[in-house]
Amino acid sequence: MRACRQEAEILWNREIAPGRYRLGLEAPAIAAGANPGCFVMVRASGTGAPLLRRPFSVYGLIEERSGAIGIEILYRVVGPGTARMAACAGGDRLDVVGPLGRGFRLAEPSERVVIAGGGIGVAPLVFLARRLVRKRGGAEGVVAVVGAGCENEVLGVDEFRALGIEPVVTTDDGSCGLQCRVTDPLGGYIERQCPDMVYACGPTAMLRCVAQLASKHRIACQVSVETMMACGMGACLGCAVESTEPGVYLHACTDGPVFDAGRLRL
Amino acid sequence: MRQDVDLRVDIGRLTLRNPVMTASGTFGYGGEYAPFVDLDRLGAIVVKGLSLQPSAGNPPPRIVETACGMLNAIGLENIGIEDFVRKRLPFLQRLQTPVIANVYGKTVNEYERLAARIDGVDGIAAIEVNISCPNVRAGGMAFGVDAAVAADLVGAVRRRTAKPVTVKLSPNVTDITAIAKAVVAAGADSVSLINTITGMAIDVRKRRPRLANITGGLSGPAIKPVALRMVWEVARAVDVPVIGVGGIMNAEDALEFLIAGASAVQVGTANFVNPAATEEIIDGLSDYLLKFGMRSIREIIGSLET
Repeated sequence: MRACRQEAEILWNREIAPGRYRLGLEAPAIAAGANPGCFVMVRASGTGAPLLRRPFSVYGLIEERSGAIGIEILYRVVGPGTARMAACAGGDRLDVVGPLGRGFRLAEPSERVVIAGGGIGVAPLVFLARRLVRKRGGAEGVVAVVGAGCENEVLGVDEFRALGIEPVVTTDDGSCGLQCRVTDPLGGYIERQCPDMVYACGPTAMLRCVAQLASKHRIACQVSVETMMACGMGACLGCAVESTEPGVYLHACTDGPVFDAGRLRL
Repeated sequence: MRQDVDLRVDIGRLTLRNPVMTASGTFGYGGEYAPFVDLDRLGAIVVKGLSLQPSAGNPPPRIVETACGMLNAIGLENIGIEDFVRKRLPFLQRLQTPVIANVYGKTVNEYERLAARIDGVDGIAAIEVNISCPNVRAGGMAFGVDAAVAADLVGAVRRRTAKPVTVKLSPNVTDITAIAKAVVAAGADSVSLINTITGMAIDVRKRRPRLANITGGLSGPAIKPVALRMVWEVARAVDVPVIGVGGIMNAEDALEFLIAGASAVQVGTANFVNPAATEEIIDGLSDYLLKFGMRSIREIIGSLET
């Protein structure tokens, strides 16, 4: 997987929920190397502000008969960088560097896996589910739990369903699915079924809880983390995350963004 | 295509094929940028600051974006001089580009031992003595804000190595020319400036600093006018080459520094924004010379008309 830089044409940039967008980019060279869990660094501001690129997981590949011609990104508008992205239209170009980072290790087809996504954290997990289903020739043994603050913020449900996975949905306010944390049904499932692998992406507090659940039941757990990041390629060392080894930092860009949960002090 | 112009510059005994270097701490150990930059085209590669022992750096968060710039408090995380020489230098030695080792210590003795260790190493063209990192508690900037202390340190390093020594200066001083003159008198072959400007940012919702280290170093376009002013002052004050650093994003920025009196420039934060920034700046310098009918980049160094 060799990273490259592309002036990628925007194929679509659709608001699918308030402040949540699906962005399709024509970027064949980046798509060719993209794996679930990897990320790209995007700059929407030309030579102006904001200065730094923003990191985004790859949500999926855009496939045509000839092969993958681009990537999709799922993002939420949180600041000036993503606001600039949201203002872009089809036909505009974005400066994209990728694919970067280490992605998910795919479970064997015989292994039972559970996927847990919180809010926009669903982004790398749909791509992961797609690859898992392809590898095992079906959705058997793949379970998903998706949580968010409210119904509007629940993402990825249709995509999981299209793969044959009926996700358990939770919301903080009960406006959709169960009114609880995503980790509640996840904990119950882990307790009852003792799966072989847990995959998670979401807020740090959620990842901490998922990691504790997995550790308690001695189940392998891979989490995708989000940090501030300037370069995305191991030069700035700004994206340090604390490891369980005292005095050792790992870097989300080159050691991650996907880590075995046991390596991190979440 | 651009072979008609001469971009070579001299930094004391060191001749660079062009004046575009990478700034320490923004280009890793070089190899990180190989997918984006033809490393053999660079004037020089200055590697991440090296200490005697590996260093873990500061707790996160370490960076935050600010208006036209960024604050960092990495804390000089690095693999240590021995691992650098053993694991990273072999890759760099295969390049045509001179490698400059940026070093920092907590004590004068540590700087001396680093200089002595590097002195015998093939493939390191020069030493950049970092006396200006604002993000480490001991050493770092403590050596860079007092002329006598800086001179003692540089003199000690000078005695331990025959390699060219450049000293990276801190802008966090009242009169940067006083520090520059002191380190030149102590034996520095050149000076590079500026390192980051100490700053801070606060999350008003949490009423907490945005960096775990509370303060950090400001870099990027926000600091360019300050850097340019200091380079101009220092270039008039010392008779050794000056290397200009601070917010250089494109060829025009680089030209400003050269015209102000810098013999070379270092590109830092721009590498994060555009991983190919260094090569684009080199091309832009050639284009400038062609456009204005000049043969050598040396014609514009210090050519400011006032």
